[in-house]
Amino acid sequence: MEASRTLDLSRWREEPHGVGYRRRVIATAGLRQLWRTRFFRVLLALAWTAGAMIAVGGFVFSQSIASGGWLETLAVRFGPRAEAIVAAIGGVVTLYPDICVRGVFTLLFWAHSFLGLWLSLLALTTLVPGLITRDRASNALIVYLSRPLTSADYLIGKFGTIVGVLLLVWTGPLLLGWILSMLFATDRDFVVYSSGPLLRALSFNGIALVTLSAIALGVSALGRNARLTVVIWICLWAVFGVMATNPRAPTWITRMSFAHDLGEVRQEVFRLDDVLATASAQLPVFDQRFTSNLATAGKKAEATDFGGALAALGVFVVGSSFVFLRRLRAE
Amino acid sequence: MYCPRRILHPTEPASLPPRLPGRAESDFIIETDRLGKTYGTQRALADVTVRVPPGTIGLLGPNGAGKSTFIKCLLNLETPTAGTARVLGRDTRVQQRASREKVGYSPERDCHIAGMAGCEYVTYCGQLSGMPMRLARQRTHEILDLVGMGQERYRPVDAYSTGMRQRVKLAQALVHDPQVVFLDEPTNGLDPSGREHILTLIGSLWRDLGISVVMCSHLLRDIERVCDRVIIIGHGRLLEHDTIANLKNRHRRVVEIAPAAERERFVTVLESTGVKVTALSNGKLRVESASDSIEWILQLMRAHRLPPAEIVANPDALHELFIKSISESHGSQPNA
Repeated sequence: MEASRTLDLSRWREEPHGVGYRRRVIATAGLRQLWRTRFFRVLLALAWTAGAMIAVGGFVFSQSIASGGWLETLAVRFGPRAEAIVAAIGGVVTLYPDICVRGVFTLLFWAHSFLGLWLSLLALTTLVPGLITRDRASNALIVYLSRPLTSADYLIGKFGTIVGVLLLVWTGPLLLGWILSMLFATDRDFVVYSSGPLLRALSFNGIALVTLSAIALGVSALGRNARLTVVIWICLWAVFGVMATNPRAPTWITRMSFAHDLGEVRQEVFRLDDVLATASAQLPVFDQRFTSNLATAGKKAEATDFGGALAALGVFVVGSSFVFLRRLRAE
Repeated sequence: MYCPRRILHPTEPASLPPRLPGRAESDFIIETDRLGKTYGTQRALADVTVRVPPGTIGLLGPNGAGKSTFIKCLLNLETPTAGTARVLGRDTRVQQRASREKVGYSPERDCHIAGMAGCEYVTYCGQLSGMPMRLARQRTHEILDLVGMGQERYRPVDAYSTGMRQRVKLAQALVHDPQVVFLDEPTNGLDPSGREHILTLIGSLWRDLGISVVMCSHLLRDIERVCDRVIIIGHGRLLEHDTIANLKNRHRRVVEIAPAAERERFVTVLESTGVKVTALSNGKLRVESASDSIEWILQLMRAHRLPPAEIVANPDALHELFIKSISESHGSQPNA
């Protein structure tokens, strides 16, 4: 037996924190590692600038009905023609707040969903190898699973990291933009009629979150090589995305692009076609040509393969879940 | 409650392991009942029934004997195909998380989280065991000091040498102050001084802190030096489980004597008592003793005024016992 030696060590006698805390630790550690990359910080700056742009857009729009407001004052400087345009817009918004507010905010959130999704996909490209791939490569799964954690806890923690990324890059700026624009809104109608588009935007955000999380976890669990994982992710996103834009591409090819499928879901959730059709039919201020253009744009914004896209996304989620659940074993 | 650093002075007796209030007392740290694990048609563990009291336990067995599978089943990293296992009184299948709450594990293979610095990694592991951030960080630095890591702790683990990785693995296994720690080949890749340091530390864990150690190693000398109890596994079966002292007693008693001078006179005197003496090529004498004690040799040396000598009782007992157990088990090798 070993000769006597003394240890100088403090003891920990507290009850350990629960499983929720441990899952949160996994999620925040992933975010902290991502935060260290300059690329992610640039993405965040872009995302929150976009959020600020929503706030500015909403503010300018709400000023259109403010008597003596900032927009009216500005219009006076540009002469009677600008003043008349602003007054006309203000009149229409006052008369048809449901159509105008809903329409403008649907357009704002619809446009933001493109940027939000794109930034999220870029952020996930950086994050994907750090989810499961690196843990598998460095045998770190054993570190997690030999502790009071199950593979489900591990997955929930990693899912938390993806949720964190999407909240920071997409949902957060969206909500901030809306809240700020509502803070400066001149009428309660803005809050009432913009909440519908906001809910639609959040619904699309939620669908994208679930889909992207599953796909990202699945791709990350596929290999032990970070570069290979990024290549698979980019293939699934960009290569199939480009192939899906080809009008001659068969349906199964277009559905293999989750970006295309999410695009279809976006059109169905936001119902921009419905908004444009209502505006062209009910707003009296447009001439015939403008009305016809609006109707055409509405038709183009219509989802053409919503059912198929949703089914394809379902297949992606199930397939990815199968992959990451199969691969999540200590080796 | 967090207890500040306990400093034991060299004069303070450290024979009894401290019992911490609030900790679950269990008579056995490991209890298995007919534990079995098969991979397809290959049986890795078969009918392992064992009850291990707290202490420092060596887990021995040849390559592929099932040692790592046994540990993995205890940690629920592998799902047993038969039987049950309890660690610290908790069923590993029923109380999945709870059974690992006060358990540490340092696997044989490298395991780290890419991109993290050593101290960040150990802190993270502490948090994964439910430690608050601040306390995890404090204990991390204490443990890293203990395993002999200096400023390297601030470098990414990916850039560590094998020895450093071994130390950081041990640190992550100890950071949350476990009641039992499983160490799989903890001295692999360490230089002699590092090995000495880590073995001394492992030896102190039970004695000073009451942390039971289950150490898996191919180096029998390390096991003999650190452990007070041994489990031998061969071909997936439990071959032996007893204290080292008992195992040695069951073995034929051999004493090795390294005389400082007058080797021939030593041989003559010893042979005159009727014992069998073998002169080894390294200058030592191997004597087959009739009793456990070496007192009779000391008396003989005094009576014949022999020069001083280094006397080691049962020097390779564990090695011989290990070889014997393994060769005996060949006949009862389990097949699926």
